[in-house]
Amino acid sequence: MKMKKTDIGVCLVMYGVCAFFLYMTLQLPKAAQIYPLCVIALLAALTTLHVFNMIRAAIKEGVESGLDDFKDFVPSQFFTLFAMILIYLAVMPYLGFYVASVLFMSASLIFLRVKLWQAVLAEIAIIALVYCAFTLFLEVRLPAGILFE
Amino acid sequence: MIETLSLMAGGFVSALYPVNILAMIAGVTIGIVIGCLPGLSAAMGVALLLPMTFSMEASTGMIMLGAIYCGAIFGGSISAILIHTPGTPASAATAIEGYQMTLKGQAGKALGTACIASFFGGLLSCISLYFFAPVLGQLAMKFGSPEYFWLSIFGLTIIAGVSSKSMVKGLMSGALGLLLSTIGMDPMQGVKRFMFGQSSLYEGINVTCALIGLFSMSQALILAEAKIRQRAKAAKFNDRMMLTKDELKTIAPTIGRSWIIGNLVGILPGAGASIACFMGYNTARQFSKNKELFGHGSYEGVAGSEAANNAVTGGSLIPMLTLGIPGESVTAVLMGGLIIQGLTPGPNLFVGETAKMTYTFFAGFVLIQFFMLGIGLLGCRGFAHIARLSDAILIPSVTILCVVGSFAIHQNFVDVVIMLIFGVIGWLARKFGLNNAAIVLALILGPIGEKGLRRSLLLSGGDPRILFSTPVCWVLIALCVLGILSPILMDRMAGKEIES
Repeated sequence: MKMKKTDIGVCLVMYGVCAFFLYMTLQLPKAAQIYPLCVIALLAALTTLHVFNMIRAAIKEGVESGLDDFKDFVPSQFFTLFAMILIYLAVMPYLGFYVASVLFMSASLIFLRVKLWQAVLAEIAIIALVYCAFTLFLEVRLPAGILFE
Repeated sequence: MIETLSLMAGGFVSALYPVNILAMIAGVTIGIVIGCLPGLSAAMGVALLLPMTFSMEASTGMIMLGAIYCGAIFGGSISAILIHTPGTPASAATAIEGYQMTLKGQAGKALGTACIASFFGGLLSCISLYFFAPVLGQLAMKFGSPEYFWLSIFGLTIIAGVSSKSMVKGLMSGALGLLLSTIGMDPMQGVKRFMFGQSSLYEGINVTCALIGLFSMSQALILAEAKIRQRAKAAKFNDRMMLTKDELKTIAPTIGRSWIIGNLVGILPGAGASIACFMGYNTARQFSKNKELFGHGSYEGVAGSEAANNAVTGGSLIPMLTLGIPGESVTAVLMGGLIIQGLTPGPNLFVGETAKMTYTFFAGFVLIQFFMLGIGLLGCRGFAHIARLSDAILIPSVTILCVVGSFAIHQNFVDVVIMLIFGVIGWLARKFGLNNAAIVLALILGPIGEKGLRRSLLLSGGDPRILFSTPVCWVLIALCVLGILSPILMDRMAGKEIES
């Protein structure tokens, strides 16, 4: 199997995680440091083993981009939807769960060009499901929204 | 013996309470819907609906989750047969013969075969659940701290088994999960570790939030990244779904063989329904008197695949319930369900009052198979339409359910943020070849292993020889080595089945 260029990033992130947790661990009292240090050493050792595997694969088989899993990736669609999710979570404390959810669902369904009748039906179904399951059955107090309290 | 029999009988009485029956019907229906939607998996469905079981009794909650699991494994066959797209990887082999039968105008018969084979596969798998689980549970009663340490290490070596492509990457995912499991209060020293000033992290990362994020939210992000395509129209069918007496006789030995295969694969940690379906299909072809029909629409092939993947369900629960070792992602999520109910998976599930809950769940698991048969046979035509539901509708719907599910755990917005963080981690992990199941297994097993190790060392005054002091420790060490080697074995098994 060829070495994947994307694995370089994976290893860098893993080393970054190790460094971050190492810094945090060293702030702890001595007795509480041992176990996290063992786990950090394990992650660092496995990452280093993977680096060796990558080098061996690069020498033997060559290098490939490793971006095969991104061949169907549509950046504009993904990042727009992800931004919508972030905005949805950001406005929820102000607008409340139900209003924010209806707005989020409407915006994403319009963006994804779902037919109007299907969008309306889907929204009614999901909101009704959440209301019955969580508000009525589980008696969860979902955020009402600062603006409406 | 008499005590066990009375627990079994009591389990059936409790399982037949109306609330449990309702949980079974709802669980199986939801499971089939999730299963027949390509892109949604059984693990994702169980994780998404985990919060709904919070307020239920432990046995009812587990019955509902078990029903979703079984329903989803069967549901995958509907889209495999009607639109040639397996709803879950467990139905990949079903698509081969099932769709050929649809093209021949025998979609009803294919669905009927899938339904009946799934029923018997699942039902027979309950036998091993009843017989092996208590025996293993009794063995695990003898475990002390050193054994629990090695048990968790064994569980973590399974991570290598559940890794699909690279064993090292699977182990890296596990180590990352272990590191994340150290967040929260130190169990021995009472020191706050990596809590970033968040008091809600006092007990560590909430496993349910992590599960919803890693399996459900990440799936919504996966669906969001690709161009939305319309799914193929499900084929209409008018033929009979019920099999004749002769047809049932023909598939009976196939179901028997697939049951044994599926059960063994289920018990083996690291393997799963996606491997079992190919093994069941291949064995059905080897023993069939009508080999020429294979590849052109053989109902024996459908039966072989479907009986095997449903036989995995009962088997896969055994290591999780008795040893607290989930062998694959769905059982890891189910284990999360048990933990939420305040129960510790392991031998204690077979002792005292908890044993009643366990046997009610076992009895429920038997009854679930009957509901799956009934709902499957009656509702196939309706479920076929659901299989066409667009990803455009699924993306916001799944997102909203993830948000409300994670919020409901402690009615705390921090849990929603943790869920989203794990959703992104899960999405990145899947894109870059890391393993979400490994992260979850490590999150669950990390604290068990840490406590086992530190208690052992405390007992021995810091002498590590205590970890090698009993024969059980050595058996578990041998199993750890086997766990590391299992991916090579599994790769060969899967490769052979798919090739042939």
